[in-house]
Amino acid sequence: MNIGIGLSDILLVSPMLALFLASLIPLTVKVLRGNREQNAIVTLSQALLGLIVSAGLLMVFGGAGKTAFNNGLIFDGVTLWMGLIALFSAAVAMIMMYENPATKGKQFSELIFLAMSSAVGMLILVSAVDLLMVFIGLEMMSLSLYLMIAMSHEEKLSKEAALKYFILGSFASALFLYGVAFIFGSTGGTNILGFMENAAELVQNSRLFLFGISFVILGFCFKVSIAPFHAWTPDVYQGSPTPHTAFMATAVKAVSFAAFLRVIATKSLIGSDHLFDMLQWLAVITMIVGNTAAIMQNNLKRMIAYSSVAHSGYVLVGVITAGVSDDGAFGASGVIFYLLSYALMTLGAFAIASMLERSESHIVNIDDLAGFAKKRPMLSLCLTVFLLSLAGIPPTLGFFGKFYLFNAAIGEGLLWLAIWGVLNSVIAVYYYLRPIVVMYMKDGEADVAEYSLNATTVTVVVMAVAIIVLGFVSGPLFSAVEKSLL
Amino acid sequence: MILSTIVFLPLLFALIVAVWPNAKTLRPLALGFAVIEFIVSLGLFQQFDANTASLQMVERYMWIERFGISYFMGIDGISLWLVLLTTFLTPIIILASWTSITEKVKGFHVCMFILQTAMLGTFLAMDAIFFYVFWELSLVPMYFMVGIWGGTRRIYATVKFFIYTMAGSVLMLVAMIYMMYLTQEATGHMSASLLEFYKLKIPFVGGTFFSLQTLLFFAFALAFAIKVPAFPVHTWLPDAHVEAPTPGSVILAGVMLKMGTYGFMRWVIPLFPEASEYWAWLFMLIGTVGIIYGALVAMVQPDVKKLVAYSSVSHMGYILLGLFAFNAYGMNGGLYQMLNHGISTGALFILIGMIYERTHSREISKYGGLAGVLPLFTIFFFIITLSSIAVPMTNGFVGEFFILMGTFKAQPVFAYFAVTGVVLGAVYMLWMFKRVFFGPQGELVKDEHHPLHDLNAREITVLVPLVIMVFWMGLFPNQFLNYSKASVDHLVNHRGSYNLTISESGSAAATQVSAEAVPTDVKAEATTPAATEAPAQGDK
Repeated sequence: MNIGIGLSDILLVSPMLALFLASLIPLTVKVLRGNREQNAIVTLSQALLGLIVSAGLLMVFGGAGKTAFNNGLIFDGVTLWMGLIALFSAAVAMIMMYENPATKGKQFSELIFLAMSSAVGMLILVSAVDLLMVFIGLEMMSLSLYLMIAMSHEEKLSKEAALKYFILGSFASALFLYGVAFIFGSTGGTNILGFMENAAELVQNSRLFLFGISFVILGFCFKVSIAPFHAWTPDVYQGSPTPHTAFMATAVKAVSFAAFLRVIATKSLIGSDHLFDMLQWLAVITMIVGNTAAIMQNNLKRMIAYSSVAHSGYVLVGVITAGVSDDGAFGASGVIFYLLSYALMTLGAFAIASMLERSESHIVNIDDLAGFAKKRPMLSLCLTVFLLSLAGIPPTLGFFGKFYLFNAAIGEGLLWLAIWGVLNSVIAVYYYLRPIVVMYMKDGEADVAEYSLNATTVTVVVMAVAIIVLGFVSGPLFSAVEKSLL
Repeated sequence: MILSTIVFLPLLFALIVAVWPNAKTLRPLALGFAVIEFIVSLGLFQQFDANTASLQMVERYMWIERFGISYFMGIDGISLWLVLLTTFLTPIIILASWTSITEKVKGFHVCMFILQTAMLGTFLAMDAIFFYVFWELSLVPMYFMVGIWGGTRRIYATVKFFIYTMAGSVLMLVAMIYMMYLTQEATGHMSASLLEFYKLKIPFVGGTFFSLQTLLFFAFALAFAIKVPAFPVHTWLPDAHVEAPTPGSVILAGVMLKMGTYGFMRWVIPLFPEASEYWAWLFMLIGTVGIIYGALVAMVQPDVKKLVAYSSVSHMGYILLGLFAFNAYGMNGGLYQMLNHGISTGALFILIGMIYERTHSREISKYGGLAGVLPLFTIFFFIITLSSIAVPMTNGFVGEFFILMGTFKAQPVFAYFAVTGVVLGAVYMLWMFKRVFFGPQGELVKDEHHPLHDLNAREITVLVPLVIMVFWMGLFPNQFLNYSKASVDHLVNHRGSYNLTISESGSAAATQVSAEAVPTDVKAEATTPAATEAPAQGDK
């Protein structure tokens, strides 16, 4: 095997390199200062700068469909958009970390380092086309996350969440790797580009391959919390510090779906009846489980956690659509667009949940929002926008996300799935309306925490405005996504 | 530009009201804005050509090119009066809420104006997705209006309202997307334009539920039937009406219910002609059942607002009946009844709101002998009651008469039963009137500590335009029907192959705008042979 690394390879992976180098800055400074924390705003600026540089490099060098490192990584439209979504979500999550009581203060530099190395893992994950590369990205992302959650200043729930996530996550990784081994055994390679060409034949004839690919799918299902592999989600989302929850619910989910999309969304694979039926039912079950369970929650974070399970179901519909379609770009861009809108609104909802936490162990229930509209009209309006967008009420971005997703599904003849999807969004309206009811229609003394929240407030308002504005210009945006995938 | 102005002016007003610093001048400001909007909408008459059935004052720009979704507005005889009804009722509602809305006044008026934009957009949008955006958007301000300013069970009522309506409309969205793909199949490029939808020939197989046109028909019809609300899916209405504040009830009864019947006229009947005809019996049946059931339930209500709410179910049943009679009488009557119901039921809710402000009770049994104490109020209430039970010379008579005539012509069986609704309507309204206004004085009326005051100048100002409309529409229906006649006749006569052209001979300004926007598209549609104007059936 010829191991030559050209300049083009280096340029292609430059976003990851830049991010990695930037992640070292806060840590190095801390060591040089004799283990004293530098001003948190400086740390945050360094991190954001790193993310921006990385995003810039990604836009310059990514997106053209080039491969690097012997077809181990590919830089096409999916890489570009999903990478940008991940970097953006990471930036917002870091701004939240800067102000959340469970994450700010001591060890902030270490936390930022971990978050950024997790983001490096994400960039690897979105560009990986070799199953082993996928695994490396997945693990790099997840290991940093386990540590981040465990580092929370909160003493009990976060530790439980970290351990739970670690054990179940490792189990899922093991399943994934097990599946990869079978695929290697049956095809003699782990590169997706290599074995996907004759996947249809392999699925029909090779039990071993079917077995392997099923395990790989299971591994992904765990990561993106597809029911019935979602059981860790509510506990981990609730126990983790809210900024980390936001990070997991958006960035981690988006990149995992990117890899999921890349691995399974090909006609030759999903085109086979077995996998198609299985995925279809997984999507339906996930939507129903997520939405019905969310109705029963009182804890705000837990409710959004279950809603994020439901959203995984919607996205899976898009992934299946992308898989069965001849024109792969349409379905895939539906998925990307949906994840973009989902990232904006979920980040916003979690950001407001984070602002309500008075201390690191404060649990925010939905009923605690009573009277919020009177005290903070601006923020409650923003939360209303996020929730209505999550519910898919026009003219928000969330509506157009669903519209493009289900449009693609109907176009591919998956009418059945689209109907399940829209009916579920009716169920979802019920619980998305609850916080709005409590905020506006009940009297109470809800208020944000006392500490400074300027950065988060600005971010929240910007995202709420973006959801409305992008809703109106969603057409060109969607076309841009679709064009970059062709 | 007049249509865009009419639709989006309230949105601008909402923004101004939202940032208006002075709380004292807020109400006069909002009222002034609503009056301006009404005057602007009167400008429609100047440009409107009553002799053509085609779409006028069209504005069309590409919005989402990928899916052929456009910013497409147009007006014809069917939507003209509904637009004017909306702009006419809004200032009245704002004036009527002068003293009843005391909390969060600013938020209330913002909701009001956003709602106005959503409703007007629903009536004027000629693109499926554009329409859907307004259709769903109208839920949000209404939801807040009931939920924040409503009665004791407001949260239950408002959530029920939201979920019911949403549940109906999502399937319509799926159907719309499906039809967009049908246009792609038929013409090669996808379009969400209603005019393109009209050109589709959707296969229909009678006798089975699972034929394409039938399924699409029901997906649309369910959404609109819930909004109307037709009989089995009406249960959100009494809750929402009773819990809503007076202005909320008025706008709900006055305009929002019409969005449902308008949907039948604009979307369901012309888009799915065979299915509509095949299933007409079903909708006439639920219309008839609604008439009788609504009337019977209204009769036994102890709460006067709930009584009026159920009377809405009954009246809306007439409209459904008229529309599905598929003749000129029925359709014209249905359209006319939409306006009548908006005026008379709106006025009833305003009157109930006025008395509620004085006594804080709506229980019929606590009243009695009100006529002696509040003579002016009694006179107004009596006039509106007569309009509601369709006494000749009032507007209600014209609409109900046409509908029943149309039904007799089409399906006499349904008419036999529907006619009983006329009697029942008189029974529940007059019985209620007797118990509230005559007889011995009830406990609320004779209460020495809270003497009741008759209507003040503001309240009279609120009611006078409504009463004028009651008689104007009752005595000179032609002045109104003439504007909608061409469109309604076109719908009746060309139901099977409905086609709407874009008027070139409208106002120069409007045509110019549309011609500049998408010349090729518009001209392509405009050059299709204009449907010949068939002689009007029946003498109105």
